[in-house]
Amino acid sequence: MKFIENIGEVLISLFSNIGKFILFIQFFFKYLFGPKFYFKNNISYFISVFVSSIPIIALTGIFSGMVLALQSYTGFSRFSAESAIPNIVVLTLTRELGPVLTGLMISARVGSSIAAEIATMRVTEQIDALKTLNTNYYNYLVTPRVLSLTLALPIFVTLVDFIGVMGGYIVSVHRLGFNDNLYLLNTIDFLKLSDYLSGIFKAFAFGFIISIVSCYCGLFSDKGAFGVGSAATNAVVISSILILSSNYFLTELFF
Amino acid sequence: MKIEIRNLKKRFNDNFVLKDISLTIEKNKSTIILGQSGCGKSVLIKTIYQLFSFDDGFILYDGKSEVDIDKFSMLFQYGALFDSLKISENIAFTDFINNKKNFNKKVISLMNDVGLDKSIFDKYPSEISGGMKKRVAFARALYKNPKVIFLDEPTTGLDPINSDKINELILKVISMRKITAVTITHDIKSAIKTGDHYYFIDKGIIQDKGDCNKILKTKNKVFKSFITGADIKQ
Repeated sequence: MKFIENIGEVLISLFSNIGKFILFIQFFFKYLFGPKFYFKNNISYFISVFVSSIPIIALTGIFSGMVLALQSYTGFSRFSAESAIPNIVVLTLTRELGPVLTGLMISARVGSSIAAEIATMRVTEQIDALKTLNTNYYNYLVTPRVLSLTLALPIFVTLVDFIGVMGGYIVSVHRLGFNDNLYLLNTIDFLKLSDYLSGIFKAFAFGFIISIVSCYCGLFSDKGAFGVGSAATNAVVISSILILSSNYFLTELFF
Repeated sequence: MKIEIRNLKKRFNDNFVLKDISLTIEKNKSTIILGQSGCGKSVLIKTIYQLFSFDDGFILYDGKSEVDIDKFSMLFQYGALFDSLKISENIAFTDFINNKKNFNKKVISLMNDVGLDKSIFDKYPSEISGGMKKRVAFARALYKNPKVIFLDEPTTGLDPINSDKINELILKVISMRKITAVTITHDIKSAIKTGDHYYFIDKGIIQDKGDCNKILKTKNKVFKSFITGADIKQ
């Protein structure tokens, strides 16, 4: 009997959280188009996220491209299809690896920090203080974070695509002996605008998922140090799962 | 502003934190709310401030059930200063985020009122002491010229000298600005020094009330044991 009760409790908690999360998104859009918009606050948050994420983005791009070139070579050389490597590298990066890896890295780098910061603000009553200062926390905290990440992720993905292709180029030309001009020509010829745009569309979606989930986990965290830790962990785990699962449906959309 | 609270009930899930609270906060007086940790003092003032909703009863603000909470201000237990903002930006928060420029003069005047040196104007909360943080939070609470100020354990975590300084400051501000003050504390010395009336809450109800200068003469056993720190069963 106790076992069934426990299952019931878990299910009630799960559905109640889903309901709260949907309401949270609804409130975000309501206040996004409301009269208060702290422009300076939004811009400064965007800049700080952008600057702090560039190194991790560059590293993700270069190593993904390099590994992809090497692994493709291992497989394709078995049936003499090495010439397809530039095509595989650029296609995989723009359509798939660029957005997914960037999303996962940004969820770990920025999402966890958003959740921990907001959870700490909640624990130390700074959220209550905002209310007493007549400041809506959706406008002051949630909007800048969601807008910044949703707009920054497509830029990050573009950078990862570019740096990744360069990583593949470096390995292919200097390690695998490809002709440098031919490699670049193959890459540019094969890439279609729709490939790049499908990745960019995913990036918008992933940026929104990471930021809204992280804000939610921070604002509805438990109290104390444990609550702050859990908020950061939950933000990364939930964002990552949502990125991976929504990636399938978005890929189906552009298939 | 006079605030009347009648038969207020507030619960979190199945736990009634406030079971039946009735009290009156007199205009331009200092009301002290005493009680042990976890008895619902903070929940009570946050409910009066409308940060929390309530389940039953009513609250009247100058006889009306609706109020502009911009007339209220709160000093939080640990200051609740915004870590990423400078002291001056914390004090003038609403003007700062609305891009108003001319707040420096008012901030310096408030810093002077609460006994803060101008040298911390551009510092961050992490760079100043606990006592200073309380003063900054106090200055922030006074920035919007409130009619009612709520003080959540203003002397908690401070040494006796700083506690006395904060008490003096509360007295000075209340008399100078003629505002209504509601203070939560379990510091009896502070209550006697800064309060006009007191209410003692235990187990979600008002156990005792009276004038602060008669606190030590209370006949209520529960409150007496709270004051002396003795166990009532002994």
